[in-house]
Amino acid sequence: MFNTESNVALQQVLAALEEQRKNIAAGQKKGYFIIAGGIAILILAFVLGFPIPGFIGILALGIFGGIKLSGAYSAQRIYSDKYKRNVIGTALKFIDPSLTIEPNNGIGENEFRHCQLFNTDPDRYKTEDLVMGRAGRTGFYFAEVHAEYKTVERTKEGTRTEWHEIFKGIIFVADFNKNFNGITIIRPKDFGSAFGAWFSKNLFSIGSNDVVKLENADFDKTFVTYGSDQIEARYILTPAMMERILNLNHQSKYSISLSFIESRMYIGFPLARNYFEAPVFKSLLDPAIMDEDITAIKFMYDIVKELDLNTRIWGKN
Amino acid sequence: MIIVIIIVVILLIGIFFYNSLIAKKNQVTNAFSAIDVMLKKRFDLIPNLVEVVKQYTTYEQGTLTKIVELRAKAISGNVNNAEKAELDAQLSSSIKGLMVNVENYPDLKANTNFINLQTTWTESEEQIAAARRTYNSSVTDYNNSIMMFPGSLFAGILNFQPIAVLETAAEERKNISAKELFNN
Repeated sequence: MFNTESNVALQQVLAALEEQRKNIAAGQKKGYFIIAGGIAILILAFVLGFPIPGFIGILALGIFGGIKLSGAYSAQRIYSDKYKRNVIGTALKFIDPSLTIEPNNGIGENEFRHCQLFNTDPDRYKTEDLVMGRAGRTGFYFAEVHAEYKTVERTKEGTRTEWHEIFKGIIFVADFNKNFNGITIIRPKDFGSAFGAWFSKNLFSIGSNDVVKLENADFDKTFVTYGSDQIEARYILTPAMMERILNLNHQSKYSISLSFIESRMYIGFPLARNYFEAPVFKSLLDPAIMDEDITAIKFMYDIVKELDLNTRIWGKN
Repeated sequence: MIIVIIIVVILLIGIFFYNSLIAKKNQVTNAFSAIDVMLKKRFDLIPNLVEVVKQYTTYEQGTLTKIVELRAKAISGNVNNAEKAELDAQLSSSIKGLMVNVENYPDLKANTNFINLQTTWTESEEQIAAARRTYNSSVTDYNNSIMMFPGSLFAGILNFQPIAVLETAAEERKNISAKELFNN
């Protein structure tokens, strides 16, 4: 496993960044402290019966503290970018020299819609931290994605907008090792999709993608599969592939979704945590600091092996 | 009035079940013809494969002749579906044997045409497997609807018979043994 302590270059980068981190942490603490001081003066002034000086006090300290904080936060953005490029970027090379990270890039909204992992189109879409590379003969990339849709409700006072989550986590994309022309989508089975699948199988089929009933009972219990071509869906989902997907699903905390479109496979891993973020109030020199990030990258990298995507015996190189 | 409504409802339910049974039966026929298409694709590969292998080997003539004969029989049009499946199983095992024997001919193993044929062959193997699984899934779906209530009532009256699923050929279940295949 990757070890930050044994890498001299990384240690130097970390030491330089640690100084920046301390300054940012101190700046943020100072900013909040000044604002808190302003509030304390205001309360004291009210208690003592001098409200005017209290207001002047909070105004002056509020502005001063605000400036301090905004300076610290903009320094944090630069620091965070450096951390991703230099620290995570270096650590990636230990897993595979082909891996790179682009903090400001991601999986575009168009691609997100195109991959059909989710039914709903997003109204607000954020993506960052694109990691790209190859594992053996298979090219892949993944990025953090946060997609939401909104609902607008009419109330007495006007309208109220609420945001709901479609997906938050990592979307993994790899070149698939077999040729196919249609679309195959695998979604976790919940009550809604189970009912929809039963409805379209037994009564009317909705849309161009029909439910594909697979012979692996476990797989069929965990997922609902839709496909534009029944045979092609089974060509992709061989008995061995279904087992591997189930295995991958067991390894992740929340149920995964998959789709196979235009020679690529897409996997959505819902995650609660924001990965690859530099700590502000924890030391960078702590050897465990990157453990979770590295584990996540290694997990993504190993998918290629896990799903046997490097076996290229089906007429696609 | 009520009696008329009841009769109409029963009629509508009857039509619905009848149509859904016919749709499922057609799906079975459709799935079977898909296997046929895949098999044809595979049979078309054989002449090229034989041609390439012939150039490199002198010892596999027996196997090659057998493969050509089996293919000719399979595409002759005089065989029914069951016989075709049987011929395909025999062809598959002969070709599997051939692929194993290729290990003895380094030149052939490195030939680009041969490598292409080999990958196309593997691809078609898996496509046929997928087509068979699709067929079996359609058959199961159809069988379920004629055996379960209330479909069983209509199926009984209209004489719908259950269809057998495709079993994997016994030879396919066995692990390939190169030695055994040599002796064929």
